[in-house]
Amino acid sequence: MPMKKFINQPDQLAKELLEGFVLANAKLVALEGHDLVVRATPKPQDKVALVTLGGSGHEPALSGFVGEGMLDISVPGNIFSAPGPPRVIEALRKANRDAGVLLVVLNHEGDVLCANMVMEMAAREGLNVKQILTHEDISAGTRKDPKDRRGLVGCLSVIKMAGAAAEQGRSLDEVLSVAERVERNMATLAVAVSSATHPATGEPISQIGDNEMVVGMGQHGEAGGGTYELKSADETARIMTEPLLKDLGVEAGEELLVMINGVGSTTLMELYLVLRQVEKNLGKGNIKMVRSLAGEYLTVQEMGGFQMCFTRMDRELIELWDAPCASPALTVR
Amino acid sequence: MTDRIGIPEWTAMLRRAAALIRENQDVLSRLDSCGGDGDHGTTMARAMNLVEKTLNEAACGSLAALFRDIGWAIMGVDGGATGPLFGSLFLAMADAAESNVEGDTLDTAALASLLEAGLAGIQKHTRARVGDKTMIDALTPATAALVQAATEDFTVRQALQRAADAAHQGAASTVALQARFGRAKNLGEKSKGTEDPGARSVALIFQGFSDGLCKET
Repeated sequence: MPMKKFINQPDQLAKELLEGFVLANAKLVALEGHDLVVRATPKPQDKVALVTLGGSGHEPALSGFVGEGMLDISVPGNIFSAPGPPRVIEALRKANRDAGVLLVVLNHEGDVLCANMVMEMAAREGLNVKQILTHEDISAGTRKDPKDRRGLVGCLSVIKMAGAAAEQGRSLDEVLSVAERVERNMATLAVAVSSATHPATGEPISQIGDNEMVVGMGQHGEAGGGTYELKSADETARIMTEPLLKDLGVEAGEELLVMINGVGSTTLMELYLVLRQVEKNLGKGNIKMVRSLAGEYLTVQEMGGFQMCFTRMDRELIELWDAPCASPALTVR
Repeated sequence: MTDRIGIPEWTAMLRRAAALIRENQDVLSRLDSCGGDGDHGTTMARAMNLVEKTLNEAACGSLAALFRDIGWAIMGVDGGATGPLFGSLFLAMADAAESNVEGDTLDTAALASLLEAGLAGIQKHTRARVGDKTMIDALTPATAALVQAATEDFTVRQALQRAADAAHQGAASTVALQARFGRAKNLGEKSKGTEDPGARSVALIFQGFSDGLCKET
């Protein structure tokens, strides 16, 4: 099916998208410098700042995670492309403070390449920055050797909880420690039923058969899992819940944050059905779904499908998850 | 006639490389559509526009400063891995050129040294090596050809011609390879059968260097 999107010239897409995004969220975010998305009301200088980078095309992620209790700066790249080092180092210089900066990087080649170069530059300039890499997609690699594990919607878990820790005035080491604890206690698996089209080229980014669903689809159309015949909401929920619990080593009595993240054209109705069955399945194993989110947080244009993310919670993490925040993608009162 | 190249020669070489990339923008994007987003050609063309802009605005500085400005400009192309990889090639060449004190010009041996430093600079940031179906498959033989040309006392012109040939062969060799990096690596076996766009870009750049220098005289 040919692409039918309301866009203008592809080469202006990322810029125009940012202008519209900022207008829509004027109380929360602003643009500064070379298209850096920043908080409209900056955080006090004595608190740790959080910065991220990543391609556009995943709205509301990642710039939608900028706000009080969440990120301080997001460096958006072109559609599905990491931004270059010059703008990321600009963001780090802007964010830099004695309290320190946490750079959140999702494991995708371009992002990691850029972040590694930028961290070297930051060290040479004496900026106080530490980095965390998110890589919770279980469809590739292993927990022990996660270099092929992509960073998917789990970044929201990390950003929300590390962001809350920063608002509390914790040190950079403490904020990093929270981020790392969330990172190693989360797992995501994605399923796709229909492809997205790249807005700049109009071409589909993956090939999925009419009656198929692909488990383990990456957020740029990368394959990585098994192809099945399309199943019901309940059956799909079961197929995805089991490997997630296994990978995370979740045991009876534990508590999970569950995120069902629609990737663009899957209806909220379907996400609710999946969430309902996940809660039941967990209950059968005496695992409590202690917090949940269902909606679109990190999309892949009009891709059909969703990402299921589990985060193992404890008292402290629940408190951080419940802390107030105000960002375009998520607001907690 | 001393066989050395300096800023005027490099300016012509870079302009010709930029032109060749732009002429082949559609080909590069088509090569990228098999495994990637199909935007490698567009990204490289944008990078080359930034290279041209840098050349137009260049102050009369040193060769090292020119390479540093070029490298930084390419880094800012905002096109995923392409900018950092090609950018770090020039930034590493810039660092190497800092220690070149012979009137800010390069003979074949110095040129070979510079490209060796450039290649090492990229390989600090990626695990990709020959056989992984990336730009490295063209850049490594091109650099080796320069080193070989230096030991055989070839002129800079001759050396660059050999480097361009080697880069073309290296790029052609990627057709049969399976991708180990980039989005294409997710295709596994299906990534075989087309040339890697990054390798083709490197071949075009070296062709541009060679052609640009020959036209200069």
